[in-house]
Amino acid sequence: MAKLYVQAVPPVDMNKNTEWFMYPGVWTTYILILFFSWLIFLSVLGCNPGTAWTIVNLVHFAITYHFFHWKKGTPFSDDQGIYNSLTWWEQIDNGKQLTRNRKFLTVVPVVLYLIASHTTDYRHPMLFLNTVAVIVLVIAKLPNMHKVRIFGINAGR
Amino acid sequence: MVRLPYVTALTTLFSYGLLFAFGQMRDLFRKLIDWSKSKGKDLKGYAPICLGLEDFYTRRLYLRIQDCFSRPIASAPDAWIDVVERKSNDHNKTLHRTSNTTKCLNLGSYNYLGFAAADEYCTPLVIESLKKYSASTCSVRVDGGTTNLHTELEELVARFVGKPAAILFGMGYVTNSAIIPALMGKGGLIISDSLNHNSIVNGARGSGAAVRVFQHNSPSHLEEVLREQIAEGQPRTHRPWKKIIVIVEGIYSMEGELCNLPEIIAVCKKYKAYTYLDEAHSIGAVGKSGRGVCELLGVDTADVDIMMGTFTKSFGSCGGYIAASKEIIQYLKHTCPAHLYATSMSPPAVQQVISAIKVILGEDGSNRGAQKLARIRENSNFFRSELQKMGFEVLGDNDSPVMPIMLYNPAKIPAFSRECLRRNVAVVTVAFPATPLLLARARICISASHTREDLMKGLEVISKVGDLVGIKYFPVEPPKHVEQDKKTL
Repeated sequence: MAKLYVQAVPPVDMNKNTEWFMYPGVWTTYILILFFSWLIFLSVLGCNPGTAWTIVNLVHFAITYHFFHWKKGTPFSDDQGIYNSLTWWEQIDNGKQLTRNRKFLTVVPVVLYLIASHTTDYRHPMLFLNTVAVIVLVIAKLPNMHKVRIFGINAGR
Repeated sequence: MVRLPYVTALTTLFSYGLLFAFGQMRDLFRKLIDWSKSKGKDLKGYAPICLGLEDFYTRRLYLRIQDCFSRPIASAPDAWIDVVERKSNDHNKTLHRTSNTTKCLNLGSYNYLGFAAADEYCTPLVIESLKKYSASTCSVRVDGGTTNLHTELEELVARFVGKPAAILFGMGYVTNSAIIPALMGKGGLIISDSLNHNSIVNGARGSGAAVRVFQHNSPSHLEEVLREQIAEGQPRTHRPWKKIIVIVEGIYSMEGELCNLPEIIAVCKKYKAYTYLDEAHSIGAVGKSGRGVCELLGVDTADVDIMMGTFTKSFGSCGGYIAASKEIIQYLKHTCPAHLYATSMSPPAVQQVISAIKVILGEDGSNRGAQKLARIRENSNFFRSELQKMGFEVLGDNDSPVMPIMLYNPAKIPAFSRECLRRNVAVVTVAFPATPLLLARARICISASHTREDLMKGLEVISKVGDLVGIKYFPVEPPKHVEQDKKTL
């Protein structure tokens, strides 16, 4: 089987917290992680596929909201705190809106929502939770929400 | 340009994700446990020294493989080196030195021409100057710290590099981070290569000028950035920039590749920007007579406005220099804080550089300089071609003595480093943040004092460890045998 090679062009992004997102293979890894976590939930909990997708959607909501839209700054001190008031979402692509990466990351929660609600047949408690998750995530990723802190939540330090 | 198998990219991202997840979980548990334990009340009211998020990388990723970095050595960094063994009782959080040393093949030191150990011409002269001038001038250059050794070296460096005048500094890092603020100020524009060294980044940040970055080694992107910036002018006022300087390096130490100097100089001349060339790794190591990338690539030294270099790599000493026109050097001598307030270079170190340059130029009466230059070129080309034949991904151009071997996965970094040390080969592995996150590598530096047997031993060990660790990403070239009686059907 021939090995598939990709070129890794070093991006011009100076922010080391976000430049890893510009390398090849990131989107595929993201999708594969979601798929394999669905399989794991399905095998560990022994529930039906729809519930497993709902759990994947909600866990994905919790993790991505915390790391993309809540935690601010960078995990290393080399950049002397330039990005200390920006969340990861506000830092990627140097703050430019509507780039390919941002569009991809906005589409993923919507697709997850569609899969989760389809496989649970739009039944009640799961539908409500899934809808709340997708609404919060998509609103947080809109370009108008760049650097907006509603009611001052998460504005400090 | 780095090529990697797609599956490797996926697994590397996944491994970093896993390490990140584990680190976050441990942090979460630490926060919970610390909340329940009573906190020390004497620090109430003081701000924390660092926010909990900032040192995440150091605490959760770097400390786990700490034994691969900062290894203490117990001898001069020659072709063979004594590495001190260290033990840890708490999974690498703290390391303790033992009194055992192991003699290892040194593939990590920047000892390009072999001047790091005792040399038959340099060392007696250095010891003599130590006795005459003592170990330190105990003074600043402008007060009492300029000995005749310093003036001799400044003239010699200017002659060697091919510029009218030069100025010396006691430390290589400081040369960049103190000169760039002296040359550029607010209203200026610094355009630097995206993979420039941290000293240049620090100097650029400290200068107050605006900084823009262009894609590594790409004159077309540099032209694009220059055109955009010259057309727009300063950020809010749109006034023209006071001056524009483009900073590039001769050999990039993490990639081992040469700069695209002729095209970049052509672009800079077209748009009337100044050029600053950092030859830390290339001076003395490349070029027919060791004069650096300008000689190797056929660029006239009058076209580069400021040439910077260090004495730590090829000359076996410490310190740095700037070579430029007489007016610039005179200006720097009056304004640069590293010249006005920092202690001058130590006299024996100056004498070491003088003797090393004389050996390279052949002025000591022998042809050892030319032999060393030929040997380092042969050694580098041999080593690089052998590694590529074995299937490793090796970066760097031909003739460059720096060759990074790509590792990619975070787990392979400590595996490669520890396995090599077990087989008595000392290599330097580099991970984030010195390199981009996914492109971790082991960096090999070849020296003129490596003999053919040393290189063969190094190749054998690296090949075996490469098989164990799984970094032969490219297909292995079969060894050529003489074809006998090949029957054609």
